Amino acid sequence: MLTELSDLPFGATAIVREINTSAHDLNCMGLRIGKELKMITKQPIKGPVVVLIGELEIAMGLEIAGRIMVETGTDI
Amino acid sequence: MTGGKTEMAVLVPERGTTVLMIGNPNVGKSALFNRITGANAIVSNYPGTTVDFTSGTFIGGGRTYTIIDVPGTYSLDPRDAAEEVAVRMLRDYPDAVVMIVLDATKTDRGLYVALEVMERGMPCIVAVNMMDAAHEKKISLDIAALQRILGVPVVATTATSGEGVRDLADMLRKAKVADIGAIAQRMRGEEPEREPAFTCGGCGGCGGR
Repeated sequence: MLTELSDLPFGATAIVREINTSAHDLNCMGLRIGKELKMITKQPIKGPVVVLIGELEIAMGLEIAGRIMVETGTDI
Repeated sequence: MTGGKTEMAVLVPERGTTVLMIGNPNVGKSALFNRITGANAIVSNYPGTTVDFTSGTFIGGGRTYTIIDVPGTYSLDPRDAAEEVAVRMLRDYPDAVVMIVLDATKTDRGLYVALEVMERGMPCIVAVNMMDAAHEKKISLDIAALQRILGVPVVATTATSGEGVRDLADMLRKAKVADIGAIAQRMRGEEPEREPAFTCGGCGGCGGR
């Protein structure tokens, strides 16, 4: 099931499927299509989210996270 | 007389080579820099920006190298002042050798900027730093395979302990221009066209010499 990364609950894992924003900015940070990530921090009042990709922790604004589509529910 | 003079000239170290250290922030570039240049490090200010870079000298194998520790960057598409410095340094030293520093625990991220540097056609050498951290995290790296795919020398280092730093310094003179097309082919499992017979075309370790 495709969902916005910003909607991914805390602790959940998903696979990046679509990046509907500057892909370069995220790619160079290590967030690429096909990568598995885990939501590790969600801040209140629309604060930033932090995801874990392998050894990498990547923080981004909620708006950016809303433009990243991730797939959940598959056997990860 | 003339013959004597020529012999003298041979003994004089050749004109210094500039080495730019490029890599993601916090991969140990500065630690590696301090290891290579020792106490000779000086701090200088790059005009037009508040972001500093450090430069130092290293003499090895009869050659003088000016090593420049460039601020960490995630890409060569400048988005902030630090990345702008990195891009400007690459532009200002077109004849420089680029030492790409990767964090052994986060190689895929480091390879992004590594490939961007390689696309520029500058001679490169790759240092996979923080090998101790990778061992600790049970991450194993196939350095030889990485070297074969990239076609430039790849050296495993641990700057904090000094492991591999000597190898890295020795390998500086073997830095090679990477062939992006060949890298892409190797990634697809194809074997790129054989290089001319006088180069080994293999590991990159010999620099084709």
